[in-house]
Amino acid sequence: MTKESGIDSHGLKLAERHYQDYTCSALESKAQGKKVIGYLCALVPLELIAAAGLVPIRIKSDPRQPITRADTLMETIICPQIRGCFDMAVKGKYDFLDGLVLPHACDSICRPYDVWKYTLNLPYSHFVNMPHGTDDSSQKFYREILGTFRKSLSGFVGNDISDSSLSEAVRLYNENRAAVRELFALRRSQPPLISGMEISKLLIALMGLPVAQSSRLVREVISEVKQRKVNSPRLPRVMIIGAQMDDATFVDLVEKSGAHVVTDALCPGLREYSADVPVTLDPLDGIAERYLRGVKCARTYEEKNGSYSDYLDQRFGFIRRAIEEFKVEGVILHVFRYCDPFGFEVPAMRSYIEASGVPVLYLENEYSMLDASQLETRVQAFIEMIR
Amino acid sequence: MTQERKRRVLATDAAASISRMVRDMIATTHRARQEGKKLAYTFIYCCYDEILRAMDIVPVWTENYAGICGAKRDAERFMQRAQAENLSRSLCAYALCDIGFDAWREELGEMPEEPPWGGLVKPDMMLGSGQMICDPRTKWFQAAQHYMPDVPVFEVGLPWIPYEQDYRARDVEDYYVRYIVEQLRSLVKFLEEQTQKKMDWERLSELVDLSDRTWNLVVEAYELRRATPCPMDTGDAMSTMVPLTFMMGTRQAYDFFEGLYNELKLRVAAKQGVVPDEKYRILWGGGLPSWYALSDFDYFHGKGAVFPAETTYRLIEPVYELDLPPSGDPIEHLAWRWTRYWTFWHDKARRRPCSHPDVERLIQYIEDYDIDGILMHEAFSCRSWHPGLIWQLAQLKNIYRDIPSLVLESDIIDIGSYNEADTRSRIDTFIDILSASQ
Repeated sequence: MTKESGIDSHGLKLAERHYQDYTCSALESKAQGKKVIGYLCALVPLELIAAAGLVPIRIKSDPRQPITRADTLMETIICPQIRGCFDMAVKGKYDFLDGLVLPHACDSICRPYDVWKYTLNLPYSHFVNMPHGTDDSSQKFYREILGTFRKSLSGFVGNDISDSSLSEAVRLYNENRAAVRELFALRRSQPPLISGMEISKLLIALMGLPVAQSSRLVREVISEVKQRKVNSPRLPRVMIIGAQMDDATFVDLVEKSGAHVVTDALCPGLREYSADVPVTLDPLDGIAERYLRGVKCARTYEEKNGSYSDYLDQRFGFIRRAIEEFKVEGVILHVFRYCDPFGFEVPAMRSYIEASGVPVLYLENEYSMLDASQLETRVQAFIEMIR
Repeated sequence: MTQERKRRVLATDAAASISRMVRDMIATTHRARQEGKKLAYTFIYCCYDEILRAMDIVPVWTENYAGICGAKRDAERFMQRAQAENLSRSLCAYALCDIGFDAWREELGEMPEEPPWGGLVKPDMMLGSGQMICDPRTKWFQAAQHYMPDVPVFEVGLPWIPYEQDYRARDVEDYYVRYIVEQLRSLVKFLEEQTQKKMDWERLSELVDLSDRTWNLVVEAYELRRATPCPMDTGDAMSTMVPLTFMMGTRQAYDFFEGLYNELKLRVAAKQGVVPDEKYRILWGGGLPSWYALSDFDYFHGKGAVFPAETTYRLIEPVYELDLPPSGDPIEHLAWRWTRYWTFWHDKARRRPCSHPDVERLIQYIEDYDIDGILMHEAFSCRSWHPGLIWQLAQLKNIYRDIPSLVLESDIIDIGSYNEADTRSRIDTFIDILSASQ
C-alpha cells in the first residue's frame, strides 16, 4: 500500500517503537515506583488490576526466535504461543514483574499455572478461575471469583479497591475499546485506510501500555490515518481467524502475498475489542458479564438455543457479520498445534463460513516464523485463487 | 485395521476379569439402544455418575471406547477420518478417534466395518463437563454435535479450587459448592426432560452412599499394595480402573473392590508378589498410559521392577478423611465430595515450604510404598494430566530428595508416536540407574 507523503506519522511511529521495544513502557512505570503485573490472554479482567493501582502488561512471545529454555522446564505439548511467552519470561525479558495473573482460559494456560508460578517465583500470583458455561449460575459464580480476585489484589497492594476506582477503570477500558473499534472502521473502505500490518503492530503495542496511554496512542493514530489518501491497487480483502497472535509477521506475510487484511477474529483484535463492560451498579457484575459472555472465545461454552443452524449463528455469527461489514473475500483460519479450544471449532466454523460463499484457507502450524516459506506458499496460492 | 498385539500378564484374578467386564459394558450400550433406553455420552470422573445411574440412563464412556480402539491397535482409521474433517492430529486422540467414528457412522447410517467390540453407539444426549481437567470436556461433544445435530449437549460446570498462596480453599469453598450444586440440579432437570422421568431422590441417596463406601474400599484395597513383595501393581491397576471410573455408584463396582481387597489380603499373607524376585519399586507418578503398549509393564516385570502405586486413575481419597459437612441432600454431598477431593492435599502441602499438592502426593506415596524411582508418561495429545510433570519432578528434587526418574514420551492411543525399541532402551537405562542407586 502506498500513502501520500506529508502526513505527520507520529502515532504510527510511536506504535512501531512500542511494538519493537515492547516492555519499554512497563519499565518506565516500574522506574516510577509502580508495580507491574504480567498476565496472559485477553480474559484477564484488567479493570481490576488497573483499579488496584497496578500496571498490567500482557506477556508476549516472539515467534521469530526459537523456543529454547522453556523446553527444559515445560512440556512441549503445550500451545506454542504460550510456550513462547514462557520462554521469554524465563530468559529474563520480564524480570521486572511484581506479579502474575493467569486466567482459566485453556489447558495450555490453566494446567501449567504452577510451572509459571513456582519458576518465576514473583511476589504475587493469582489464577482467575473463570467457568466455561455462560448460564446464570456460571455468571454468579464468576462474580464470586472476581470478588476473590479483588480481595487478593487488595491484599497485595495493601488497600481496598473501591467501587469508584473500579467504575473509573471500566470507563477507561470501555473508552479504549471504543477508540480501537473506531480505528477498525477505517479498514472498511476500498482500499482500507490502514493496513493489517499497521493495525497488528499497534494492537500488540497496546498490550504493553497502561490504558490511558493506550487510548491516547489510538486516538493519535486515528487522526493521522483519517488524513490519508490511500492509493493502492485492488487487492483481495482477507480476514484472519485464530487464537492469540502476538506478532505481526504473519499478517505481514499475508499482505506481502498480495492481499489486504481488513479484519480478524484474533487476540489482540476484533474479538478482544468488540464487547464493552456494561455499566452496572456493582461494577463487578458488568465485568463478569463482559468477560464471560461478551468475549467470543472458543474456550467459553455457549448453551444452544434453537436449531443447530441457529447455534452456529450464535457461535460464529460475529464472523459472518465482520465478513459483510468489511467486505471480506477470503478467510484464513490459522490454528496453532495443541490448541484444543480453537482446534475443535474448525469443522463447524469452516463449514459455516463456506456456506456464506467465502472461501477458507485452514492453516495449522507451530506458530514459528523462523521459516515461514511453507506458510507463504499456501497463503500465496489461496490469494491467487480468490483474486 | 487391527495390528498384532501381545497378551499381557496380570497378577490378580480381579484384573484378569476386567476384559469381560468391559465387553459387557459395551454390549450393554448396544442392548440399551435396542431396548429404547436412554444413552448418554459422558466422561470419566464427571462427578455425576450416580445421577445417571439413579435415572437409569446408560452411560457411554467415550474415553473408554477410544481406549479400547487404542488397546486393539485399531484407532488409526478413526483418527484419520477426524483428520479428514480438519481436526488437528495434535488434539486429544480420544476425541479424534470417537469424533472420527461418529462422523463415519453418521455418514454410513450404520457402524463402520468391523468396529472394535461392536462400535460406539449413537447417544440420545451428550454430557460435557466444563472444568479444569481438560478443554475437550467442553469442546469434544460440541464438535461431535456437528455430525449429530439432533443430539443435545448439556455442559456441567465443575470447577475445583486452585492451590494458591493468597487465599485458602476454606475461604472460597462455600461458593464453589453452591455453584456445583446449582449445576448438578440443572443437570437433573435436563435429564428429567430428556427421559420424561422424575429423579428418584431416595435411590440417588443410596447410590451416593454406595459410592462413598466404594471409594473407601478402593483406598483400603490399594493400600495393601504397600506390602513387599507388592501383590498388585500399576499394570493391573490400569485394568482395575474400569470399575473405579466407569461403574461408580453400582453394586458391581463395590463387589469388585471387595473381591480385590480379599484377593490382595490373601496374596499379601502368602507373600505372593507381582514378580518372583522383586528388586525395584517404581511409582507411576503421572500421565495416562499408552493403551497399545501396556505390555511395557511386563518388560519392567522382567527386570524385577514393580509399580506399587500410581497417581493416575486413583481418583479417590478416603471419604472419612474428607471431613464432609453432614447433608441429607445427595447433590450437596456430591458437590462437597468433589470439592474436598481436589483440595485433599492442600493442607499437607502448606506444611512443607515450597511444596504443592501434586508434589506432596508424590512424596507421600514414595514414603508409603517404599519407592525407589518414579516413572511418568507424557502423552503428546493430552494437555490435561501431562503439563507440569517435568516441573513436579524438579520440585520434588528441590524440596525433598533426588530420586531416579524417567519420563517416557508417546501417546494414549496414537500408536504412530510409539517406538518400542527406543522405549525399551530407555527403560533399560532407567533400570541401570535404579540398580546403581541401590
